[in-house]
Amino acid sequence: MTPLIEVSGLRKQYRSSFGKSKITALDGIDFTVGEGELFGLLGPNGAGKTTTVKILLGLTHATAGHASVCGLPVRDPESRRSVGYLPEGHKIPNYLTARQALSIFGRMSGMSSRAIAQRIPALLDQVRLGQWADVRVKKFSKGMTQRLGLACALIHSPKVLLLDEPTDGVDPVGRREIRDLLRDEAKTNGTTVLLNSHLLSEIELTCDRVAVLRHGKVAAFGSVEELTRTTATYKMVATPIDESLVSAFRESGAGVERVNGHMVLSVSDLEHLNTLVDQLRARGGVLSELTPVRSTLEDVFVDLVRADMGESVGAHE
Amino acid sequence: MKVLVANIEDVMREAAARWTLIAYFFLSTIFIIIFASAINLDIVDGALAGAKLFGREVDMDNNTISIEKLVLGFETGFSVFLYFLCTFLAIFATAHLVPRMQEKGTIDLYLSRPVSRVKLLLSRYVAGLILAGSNVIYLMGTIWLIVVWKTGVANPRFLLGGLIIFLVIAVLLAFAFLIGVFTSSTAVSIMTTYGIFFFGLMLAAHEQIEAAVSKQWQASTIKTMYWIFPKTAELGQAVVAFVGGAELPERVLRALTPAPFLTTAAFGAGCLILASWLFTRKEF
Repeated sequence: MTPLIEVSGLRKQYRSSFGKSKITALDGIDFTVGEGELFGLLGPNGAGKTTTVKILLGLTHATAGHASVCGLPVRDPESRRSVGYLPEGHKIPNYLTARQALSIFGRMSGMSSRAIAQRIPALLDQVRLGQWADVRVKKFSKGMTQRLGLACALIHSPKVLLLDEPTDGVDPVGRREIRDLLRDEAKTNGTTVLLNSHLLSEIELTCDRVAVLRHGKVAAFGSVEELTRTTATYKMVATPIDESLVSAFRESGAGVERVNGHMVLSVSDLEHLNTLVDQLRARGGVLSELTPVRSTLEDVFVDLVRADMGESVGAHE
Repeated sequence: MKVLVANIEDVMREAAARWTLIAYFFLSTIFIIIFASAINLDIVDGALAGAKLFGREVDMDNNTISIEKLVLGFETGFSVFLYFLCTFLAIFATAHLVPRMQEKGTIDLYLSRPVSRVKLLLSRYVAGLILAGSNVIYLMGTIWLIVVWKTGVANPRFLLGGLIIFLVIAVLLAFAFLIGVFTSSTAVSIMTTYGIFFFGLMLAAHEQIEAAVSKQWQASTIKTMYWIFPKTAELGQAVVAFVGGAELPERVLRALTPAPFLTTAAFGAGCLILASWLFTRKEF
């Protein structure tokens, strides 16, 4: 898969107002995003997500490291020719109509008037703003403004989409539509999407791979499935579940948690799991369900952040 | 070219939507109406028989003042008023262009396009000049037409005097852009630009000021500042001299020398270069 976004050893330090101290926003991050991939960037506030996106767009300059988009270094304005960007808290001039906004931003992306005129109707229909083409943006709701922002990012049919909180202020139906639109863009047009969002459920439902940033570094990286898979925890539904069975499981070294009539077992490996099943059957028990337990992306995220907080507390103590 | 067209469209639509364009041209129209109402000329058989200015009879000095002289005299004097009016209105209408562009959420949308920062800034500058220039053309052009209609006398130098006014506007707008890039404040851009304008007027008396200060380094500083800052007084005199032509005294015609034009233009170019450099380095 051809990488359309490449980030290598990226660092960013900000100076305080009087230049006395430095604040490290990014501390050497590496990742690539391939063609047609849906990639999520997660992290707590201040982790460096928005800084990363801004460096990719040339809004901010990296202190060290390398970043490229579509094979071009990010300092080259041409690297943005095939990039569509939806910033968080964007302000499309509210004196423009939807059509005028798309026309201006399309022209700034190098499109001809004819191409813009042909593209606008279908694009506005795609984001459900077809009937609002000639209405001024100041009359739009938050969700409509967000959808128009997405349309402005898509006007020139970019190969790469950088989206910062794209579903901010959008209702659940709208969020689903945006998710479907992004998936469609990736599948049909091979558009690469880099999604920056606090809505972990959105990332989990939309993205193929994610990177979790923490203190300017990549704390976790991989596909959503890899990050949420836990091979050592299983849900067991069996009858009867009594204290003697639980004690026997614990004596074997398994972690046991009784939840709503079933058990959540933490085992060291599959052999250990099979030993527990044998113990159950030896006691005359009947196994009705045995499934691996997946954590959600939120669990992974919170665990990472809490681990960091635990380290910080330990350091202070 | 597409970037320039996009910026021009953006600037004009904003000016229209925020009533700037309407106010700009409304104020100009008020002055035009006042002007048109103020002058009443009685022309008999192609000669000027009588004239009233703001309702008062003009002393015709036993009919020795020709209509051409009257028109020339009037346009020469009025060009000073237009010099101040056009400049003030232009800066007020365009000083916001950079600060508003640099607002969070807006600048991201512009800079994420495949446009160099210098091109973005300069195309916005050109758009501002077009907005300001259109009002100069409207104001001076309409007054010129009214004079031609009322008197039959066409003095093209009056129109061309607008070019000098346009130069001053271009230089001051460049300075406003520099301040806008640095501070992202419309208010500061306007205040400092008007400050530079009046400072330039004061510096016209730099020789007297230099003679009055006690220390040599102070005199040198005043002189250096005179040569750096725009020559707003001299260029105002140049407008008068250009419109009036050979009819004016020698001391006024002396204002038509290259030095004020060249140094003022250099100041404007320097401001634009510095603004572009700062804008490319700025982080958003």
